[in-house]
Amino acid sequence: MKPPAFEYAAPTSVAEAVALLDERGFDAKVLAGGQSLMALLNMRLARPELLVDIARVPGLDSIEISDGCLVVGAMVRQRSLEFFPGLADSHPLLLAGLRHVAHPQNRNQGTVCGSLAHADPAAELPALAVAAGAEFVIEGPDGKRSESAEDFFITYLTTTLEPAELLVEARFPLLREGSGWSVQEVTRRHGDFALAGAVVTMRIADARVADPRVVAFGVGAVPLRCTAAEQALAGAEPGPAAWKEAGALVAEAVEDPLDDVHASAAQRRSVAGVMASRAMEEAAARA
Amino acid sequence: MDEDKPARVAVTVTVNGRRLSAELEPRTTLADFLRVDLGLTGTHLGCEHGVCGACTVLLDGRAVRSCIMLAVQAAGHEVTTIEALANEGELHPLQQAFVDKHGLQCGFCTPGFIMAAAELLERDPDPTEQALLETLGGQVCRCTGYEAIIESVRDAAEKLRQQGVGPLELLAAALEKNAAPGGGE
Amino acid sequence: MSGSIPNSLEELPVSEIRWIGKGVERLEDPSLVTGRTEFIDNVVLPGMLHCAILRSPYAHARIVSIDSSAAEEMEGVYAVITGSDAARLTNPATTAPEGWGGYCLAHEKTRFVGEPVVAVAATNRYLAEDALELIIVEYEELPVVANAQAALAADAALLFEEHGSNVMLQRKFTWGEVDEAFDQADLVVSDDYRWNRLGANPMETFGCVVDWNPADDMLTCRGSFQSQSHMGLARSLVLGLPSNQVRMISHPHGGSFGGKGGFRGVDICALLSKAASGRPVKWMEDRLEYLLAGAGQSWDREYRLQLALKKDGTVTGLRVKLLDDMGGTAEAFGAVSAAKPLAAFTGCYAIQAAEYDLTLVATNKIPQSPYRGMGPPPHNWVLEQTMDKAARELGLDPAEIRRRNYIPADAFPYTIASGNEYDSGNYEAALDELLNMADYERLCAERDSAQAEGRLLGLGLANTIEPGVFDWNAYAIVGLESTGVPEGITVAIDVMGRITARLGFSLEGQGQYTLVAQVLADYFAVTPADVSIVYQDSLSAPPHFGPGGSRLGVAITGAALGAARLLERKLARVAAVLLQCGPDDVELMDGFLRVRAMPEARMHFAEVAGAMLARSDLLPEDSDPQPQATYVWTAPGRTPADEQGRAKSYLTAANACHLVKVEVDRDTGTVDILGYWLVDDCGTRLNPVTVEGQTMGGIAQGVGAALLEEYVYDESAQPLTSSFMDYLLPSVYEVPRVEKKALTTPSPFTPLGAKGCGEGAMHTTPAAIMCAINDALSPLGLSAREVPASPRRLWKLLHENAD
Ligand SMILES: Cc1cc2nc3c(=O)[nH]c(=O)nc-3n(C[C@H](O)[C@H](O)[C@H](O)COP(=O)(O)OP(=O)(O)OC[C@H]3O[C@@H](n4cnc5c(N)ncnc54)[C@H](O)[C@@H]3O)c2cc1C
Ligand code: FES
Ligand code: FES
Repeated sequence: MKPPAFEYAAPTSVAEAVALLDERGFDAKVLAGGQSLMALLNMRLARPELLVDIARVPGLDSIEISDGCLVVGAMVRQRSLEFFPGLADSHPLLLAGLRHVAHPQNRNQGTVCGSLAHADPAAELPALAVAAGAEFVIEGPDGKRSESAEDFFITYLTTTLEPAELLVEARFPLLREGSGWSVQEVTRRHGDFALAGAVVTMRIADARVADPRVVAFGVGAVPLRCTAAEQALAGAEPGPAAWKEAGALVAEAVEDPLDDVHASAAQRRSVAGVMASRAMEEAAARA
Repeated sequence: MDEDKPARVAVTVTVNGRRLSAELEPRTTLADFLRVDLGLTGTHLGCEHGVCGACTVLLDGRAVRSCIMLAVQAAGHEVTTIEALANEGELHPLQQAFVDKHGLQCGFCTPGFIMAAAELLERDPDPTEQALLETLGGQVCRCTGYEAIIESVRDAAEKLRQQGVGPLELLAAALEKNAAPGGGE
Repeated sequence: MSGSIPNSLEELPVSEIRWIGKGVERLEDPSLVTGRTEFIDNVVLPGMLHCAILRSPYAHARIVSIDSSAAEEMEGVYAVITGSDAARLTNPATTAPEGWGGYCLAHEKTRFVGEPVVAVAATNRYLAEDALELIIVEYEELPVVANAQAALAADAALLFEEHGSNVMLQRKFTWGEVDEAFDQADLVVSDDYRWNRLGANPMETFGCVVDWNPADDMLTCRGSFQSQSHMGLARSLVLGLPSNQVRMISHPHGGSFGGKGGFRGVDICALLSKAASGRPVKWMEDRLEYLLAGAGQSWDREYRLQLALKKDGTVTGLRVKLLDDMGGTAEAFGAVSAAKPLAAFTGCYAIQAAEYDLTLVATNKIPQSPYRGMGPPPHNWVLEQTMDKAARELGLDPAEIRRRNYIPADAFPYTIASGNEYDSGNYEAALDELLNMADYERLCAERDSAQAEGRLLGLGLANTIEPGVFDWNAYAIVGLESTGVPEGITVAIDVMGRITARLGFSLEGQGQYTLVAQVLADYFAVTPADVSIVYQDSLSAPPHFGPGGSRLGVAITGAALGAARLLERKLARVAAVLLQCGPDDVELMDGFLRVRAMPEARMHFAEVAGAMLARSDLLPEDSDPQPQATYVWTAPGRTPADEQGRAKSYLTAANACHLVKVEVDRDTGTVDILGYWLVDDCGTRLNPVTVEGQTMGGIAQGVGAALLEEYVYDESAQPLTSSFMDYLLPSVYEVPRVEKKALTTPSPFTPLGAKGCGEGAMHTTPAAIMCAINDALSPLGLSAREVPASPRRLWKLLHENAD
C-alpha cells in the first residue's frame, strides 16, 4: 500500500495552482487535506502524474462571516471550522453536521472544500451545503465563477469542476433567525459514512411550518433535495402526521439508491424517509 | 512517471523538537519518513488508509494520521511522536496511566491512542464522556475492549490537572531540555 | 509428571504469597507505551530487500503465461519468482489434511482472489510495488465455486481435480443413543443457522524477514510467529531443509487471536532470499492484503441444530449438522475449527446423546484460518439460541431451562458425550450470581412493559464452556499430524544471584512474561521486577509451543514451577554441603536454603548459586556447577481419540454466563446494546487484571461478530469487503460497559488450579447478543438466524415484504 510515483508542486497562489492544473489537465490532481485522496493513492486507485498541494497558498485557510454568509476557504480544515469561535450560534447546523464527519483525527487534516469537491454521496458536507443553500466560488483558467451547491454535484464523485478548476471557497448562508435544524443519519459505526441520512431546516410561523428545506443523503448519486416533501411541509401543522407524510415523500423521491453490503436499496430508501421524519421533528422542536 | 527518476524534494521539518532536512521522493508518506528515514518506529502502521489510528502523530499539536499524509506536507511544521513523551526514562503521565490502568495488551495501538489523547487533554483538561468517546472513537484497539483505555485517559487527565500542566506543555519543557546542548540541526 | 509441581499456593516455599493472584504491573508495558518494543516491521537488516506480491484477480483461473521480464530488468529489483519456482523448490503446505494444501505461489491455477502469483524483491516497498505493475499475467477463467452449497453440486467445478470432489472431509460422529432420544422425545426443536465469515484482524498484520544463507544453507526467519517451533517445522517440510537448519526468531506481536498466519509469506521470502543470493527479504503484509487473502477469515458455516426434550425441559438429545466452507485450500488449519467443538460439544449441559454430522468443503474463497475460540463460538451460538427456542415453546424462562440441564456441581470431573472431560465447575452458582447482580426480575419486567409498548427490547442469556489448555489429540479427527504441545522454561540464577527465565515464545499481549515473573518471584521470595524473562529462538529454547488454545498461562505456570522446583533441589544439594547436613535436611523457605531442624542455619539462594558458579574449591568434584534447571510441562492424563473422536483433549473447562439487554430499531434495523452483565469462572486467577483484559477484549470481538464483522463475497467469489471502511471493527462506541463478577472453582488438574481463559468472552458474547435480539423480535414472531445481525439483515427481516 505505497503510492505510485508522482511529481509534487506547492504553488503559492491560486493563479499558479490553476496554471499548473491547466498545463497537466487530467494528469494533475489537487491535494488538500488528503483524507480521501491519500487513501486512494496508497491503494493505487488514483495515479496522477502531478499533485498540486494547495496548502501553501496563503489566505485559503480563512473563515469569516460576511454578507450573511459563513465563508470557508479551500484549505479550512473541518476541525478548524468546528472550533471557529461562535459557530454554535452562527451556524449550529454546520457544527452538528461536522461532528458526524469521520473522527477528529481525520477532521484535523480533512478540509471542508475537499469533502465538497470529492462529492461522496454518503458524505455529510455536500448535503449540508445543499440544505443550507451554499454557493461555491470556483476559479479556473477563465477566471472566477460561482455556482450553487444544488447545481454543483453531478453524480458519484463527480462535480462541475473542470480539471483545471479550484474550489476556492464555500459560502454557507447563515440560518434565518428562528430557524430550526437537524441532521440525522444511520451509520454502521459512529463516524462512518451514512447508510442514509437527512438534513432539515425550517421555521415555525403562526404555528405552521415555514421555509422548509429537506435534503437526503447516502441514498442517491448526489445529495437529494426533496421538493415534494418541502411543498407538503410548507404551511403544514407541525406534528407526527406531517413528519410522517413528508418523510414518506422523501422515500418516494429517492431514485435508484445504492445497494451494497451495508444496506439494501429498499432499506436505504425507507431509512432516508425515517431519517427525514426524525429530522423534521427535531428541527421543529428547535425552531 | 517520466523515463527519468522522479525528482526528489527537499523537506525541512521539526520532529520532536529537532529541525531536520531530507531529500525525499514526494510520494514518501509521513509515516514511512518517520519510521524508515528517522528510525522513529513507535509510530505504527495498522491499515494505511486512515481508519485505525495506529499511525497517529501530532502535527502542530493536532492529532493526524501519518499514513495518509505525505512527508512533504509536513514541511515547515512540527511533528511530535510517541518517542518525545518519556523524559529521561520517566514515563509521561499519559504513558504511566496506560500502565497503571492496564490500557493496553499487545500495545500496538497504544502510541496512537496516547497521541490522540494528548491532543484532547491539551485542549480540554477535563473532558466530558462525550469528548472522550469522540477522540477515542477515532482509534481502533483489537485487544482491550476499550474500557481500560477510557479509564487510562481519565486517570491521566486527573493527574495532569493535579500537576496543573497540559500534556504537551510538559513535553515542550522536556524537549527544550533534551534539545538544548547541540540541539537543532 | 505434575507430581513434581506444587499444585496449590500453600505448597510454595514462602510464608506469604505476594504476587500470584494480584494485578501486578506488567513488565512489558514500559517498552510498549514508549513505542520501543521491537515489532517485526521495525527490523532492518543489512542488505535487506522488500517483497511485494502480485495476486490473482480471479477466484478460479488457469495461469496461461507470466511475463515478468520488465520487472526483472527494473533498477532496484533483485529477484522475481513465480509458482513454477515454488513447485520446483518446495512442497505444498503441510498444515492441511493430506492433499488439500497449496504451494506458496499459485502453480498452474489460482484457487481464490488474492492468491499470490508472482513475488518481487526490491530495495524498498515502493519500488517493489512499482515492479508488480510491470508484470503481465494471462489467465483463463475457470468456473467458480462461490459457496458451500455450490461446492456440493454434482456438476461443480473442482478445486483439486485429483480428489474428484470438493468435499475435504465428511464424517458423522454418534455418541450415545441419539435416535432413541429423538424417538422418545416429547418435543423436538430444530432450526437452521448461518454464521458468516469473519476473522482476527490484529492491529498489526503479519510480517517477516527471512534470509536463506547460501553458505551453510541455514534458513533464519524473523517474524510475528505465534508458534515458532511449529511454524519452523512446517517450513522445514515445505522447503526441504533439515529441521535443525531452520531457525525461527519470533518478535512481539501487535495482537494475534489466531489470525497471524503467514506460512506463504515466509516461504515466498525464503525463495526470494535464495534467488537474491541470500539477502534478507522482508514482507510486511499490508491491510489490504490481510483483508484480501491473509490469515484472517474463519467460520463460514451453515448449521442445522436439533434438540430432543422432555416436557419438563430436560434435553435428552442433540444433533448438530455442519457444512463449513473452508475456501480454496485447507492450508491454514481451518479444519481444526470444526474439530474443536468436540471439546465442549454439549456446552454446560448434561446431554448424553449427541451427534455431529460434519462436512468441510473447498470453494473459491480464501482459505480459512484460526480465530479466537477456534470453532466453538458459532457452535455455542446455535446451541444457546436453540435452547431459547425450546424454552419459548415450553413456556419456560431461558434461565430455568438452562438450570434444568446443567451438569450438577457434584458431578465433576464429568465426561461429556463427545468424550472430553470437564475438570470442575458450578454452573448454577454462576447463573444465580448473574441473575442477582443484574436484578433479572426487574429487567424482565422492564422488557415486558417495553414490549407491551411495541418497543423491540430484549434480554439474552447465554452460558458456555471455554475449553482450555488444548492438546493436539483434539484435532486428530480432521487428519492433522501432531507436533505436540510441550512448554518448557529454563530458570537460571547468575553469579550475582539474579534470576533469568528463558523461554520460546514472544509476546502477543496477554502479559505472559509477567506471569512467569510473578510465579518465580513468589517461589524465590523476590519481586517480579527482579526476574528477567529472556526470549529464545526455536533452536535455542527448551521444547515449546507458545500461545494457542487457551493454554499458555497454565502451561507456563507449570513449567516455571517445575523448573523452580528442580532448581531448588539442585541448590539444596549444594547448600547441604555448605551447611554440613544431608541434602534431604535442607529446604527452601522465603528465599533461603535452611536446615529443616535448625532454621537459623541458612543461606540465601543467591549465595548458594554464587558458590556453585564461583567456588568450586568449596564443592565436591562431582557437583554440577549450573544453578539452572529446565522443565517441560505437558498436560497430564490426555488420551488418544477413539473411533468416534472421543478423547480427553482440553484439560480445563472454564464457564461463563452472560446477560445482555438490547433494543432493535424497527425502522433502521440497528441494534443498541443497553446493558451487559457477566459472571465467569476460570479457576484460580493468577493475574486478575490480565484475565479481565482477556474478557473485555473477547466481548469487543464478540460484539463485532454479532453485529459488524463479515467478509462478503459476490456470486463469483469476488470479495466485497476489502478495506476497513467495509470490514468493520468495533470502536469505543459499539463496545458496552460491562458489570462483571468472578467465581473461583479451581481446576484439580492444573498447577495452582488455573484454567485456560485466553479466548474468553468470544465464546459467549455472540450467543448472548443473538439471544437478546431474538427475544426482542419474539413478539413479532420473527427470528434472526444469521450472524452478523447487521442492519441490512434485520431490516430485511422486519420489512420482508418491502424488499
Ligand atoms: C477513516 C475516514 C473516515 C471518513 N469518514 C467520513 C464521513 O463519515 N463522512 C464524510 O463526509 N467524510 C468522511 N471521510 C472523508 C473525509 O471527510 C475527507 O477529508 C474529505 O472527503 C476530503 O477532504 P480532504 O481535504 O482531505 O481532500 P483530499 O483528500 O485532499 O481531496 C479529495 C478530492 O477532492 C479534490 N479537491 C480537494 N480540494 C479541492 C479544491 N479546493 N478544489 C478542487 N478539488 C479539490 C482532490 O483533488 C481529490 O480528488 C473519512 C475519511 C477517512 C480517512
Ligand atoms: S495506519 Fe494510519 S490510520 Fe491506520
Ligand atoms: S492493545 Fe492490542 S490493539 Fe490495542
